[in-house]
Amino acid sequence: MSPRQSFLAIGLIVVAAMLAAMLGLLVGAKTLSVETAIRVLLAPDGKLESVLIWTLRLPRSLAAAAGGAGLAVSGYVLQTLTRNPLADPGITGVTAGSVAPIVCCFVFVPWLSPAYYPFIGLAGGLAAASVTFWVSRGGQGRPLQLALGGVSVSLFLGAITTYVLLLTGPQSASLLFWLAGGFQGRTWSHLLYMLPWTIAGVVGALLLRRVIGMFMLSDHAAAGMGLQLGLWKPLILILAVIPVAGVAPIAGPVAFVGLAAPHIARLLKPRGTGWEIGLSAALGALIVTVADVFARSIAIPRELPVGIVTALFGGPIFIYLVQRGRLSLAGEMR
Amino acid sequence: MIAALAALALLSLAAAIFLGVADIPMGDVAAVLTGAGSAEARLIILDIRLPRIATGILAGIHFSLAGYLLQTITRNPLADPSLMGVSQGATLSVTIFLLFTVYIFEPGSNTLAELPVAWLPAAGLAGGLLAGGVIYLLAFRLGLSALRITLCGVAVGAVLHAVAIGLIAGWGSARIEIILEWLSGSLYARSWDHALFLLPFTIACLAMLPVIHRPLMLLQFDAPVARSFGLGYRRQFSIVLIVSCALAASAVGAVGPIVFVGLIVPHLARFLAGRNFRLSLVLTIVLGAVIVTLGDLIGRLLGQAEEIPIGVVTAVFGVPLLLALLRKTM
Repeated sequence: MSPRQSFLAIGLIVVAAMLAAMLGLLVGAKTLSVETAIRVLLAPDGKLESVLIWTLRLPRSLAAAAGGAGLAVSGYVLQTLTRNPLADPGITGVTAGSVAPIVCCFVFVPWLSPAYYPFIGLAGGLAAASVTFWVSRGGQGRPLQLALGGVSVSLFLGAITTYVLLLTGPQSASLLFWLAGGFQGRTWSHLLYMLPWTIAGVVGALLLRRVIGMFMLSDHAAAGMGLQLGLWKPLILILAVIPVAGVAPIAGPVAFVGLAAPHIARLLKPRGTGWEIGLSAALGALIVTVADVFARSIAIPRELPVGIVTALFGGPIFIYLVQRGRLSLAGEMR
Repeated sequence: MIAALAALALLSLAAAIFLGVADIPMGDVAAVLTGAGSAEARLIILDIRLPRIATGILAGIHFSLAGYLLQTITRNPLADPSLMGVSQGATLSVTIFLLFTVYIFEPGSNTLAELPVAWLPAAGLAGGLLAGGVIYLLAFRLGLSALRITLCGVAVGAVLHAVAIGLIAGWGSARIEIILEWLSGSLYARSWDHALFLLPFTIACLAMLPVIHRPLMLLQFDAPVARSFGLGYRRQFSIVLIVSCALAASAVGAVGPIVFVGLIVPHLARFLAGRNFRLSLVLTIVLGAVIVTLGDLIGRLLGQAEEIPIGVVTAVFGVPLLLALLRKTM
């Protein structure tokens, strides 16, 4: 795709995401008509419909979109950094690394302000990713080595999380819903709390697109082009973890978005790393927004966690990609 | 090596019988084992500790052997029942079973008393086999490529796990704790029934080992190489996969997903046995039993009243070891 087409594609995806979000404003325990929604959006009043849209549904849809974009960019950066099509926040242990310490803080240090959670998530995600990277020699080992390390780290943290849940007793139900991944009851404050991290991740990736693009070659080639690996590798890794640190405290783990969105973006063959990042972000936002709408409209009045929906749809897509042999990064899988 | 291993196995067995939260003097334990002893000691040893140990040993063998077989045929160190979707399939079906029997049999009831716990292993087995079947079909459609099978296994596992967690979160209510406890992989309150449930699978699968031993050695190679040795590749691959799924699914049904045993024990065994294939197989079986027995003992002793599930213990000890091995050997 030429830059123009890429721009158009991003625009279309964003419009689709906005349409999905609009649809999300209408459905729920109380279904609203399009006219009501537009009227209330333009002129909020104190009535039920207005409250419903402005305090419940709108922030939630926006949080889903921002979260999706962040996860997708994180997946893109991780996949490129490791040249590993398997890499995503889930499989490298970043998500589990962010989630587990937050659960522990919630249970054992309840007086700690949630304002610190993204920082805890960042530290935990970085620690987990570092272990995974150490095992796979900076991601330069075989793809399976990275995946094996990451999945082991995830299982380790998952076992601890389950045990902590066991110890908490009555609280475990709400923690579990959070662990299933979702945006139920997320408000403006949640959104504002997440947004800086997501924006930092997406904008950072766009600004550093040239460096990220160089990692797509090989370490040798990147070093040959004058890239200081010792400096940039850790920096790019931090960049990859930043959006996850924002999303994890709000939505819990939302699986497969970081894996699927970049792959779909690459299938569209945009020319240039920046466009790939943009497309990934837009696709991530679209996927999670649609999943969120689906999750809350499929079983009214109950809600499914969004994590289930992304997994249910992402899994088969992923397997289809594997079957078709399309699951490749820069044309080959080492 | 064999002598040291046998000594280790016996020592861990003895420790598991003699040590526990209930403080019973050594002499009393010995008396119980020879047929005497007080009623209380007999109850604790014969009805609580021994069945628990027996279940643990069998489950340990199941997990480690299943991991070993999967790792060999997929030529992939990642392969493990819990990474290939088998454990998650069993988890999902047990979750569904636990959650929805309430709605079917006793709507509105929140008591756990009437729960048909005895059916749990069967439910786990069914779900595990079903998930194994999906992987199996995908594996053949993918032309038996190790990397692709693993990718699909991971994907299927992640989907099933997400659905299970979602169901628990959405419908769990009063059952959450019992499901969580099962989910963390625990030998708590396992009875002779659990051991007897596992035993036929253990015997049948161990009896298959001499039969699949030679094919298994050849399955380590690429399909063309294996075929040139006269191996019916697809058939043998299927047989080993089925044996492995049966082992893993039955064990998950009985004790929940004890994840790291199937992943790490085969690595450990190959590390110790070097290129000796037969020895590594034997080591896998023995070490699987030993590690689960010891892990459960540690969890029992450390946690005291609120014991630590074996799944957590194996994870805490298993991961650093696995990561070190991984970095060293790959």
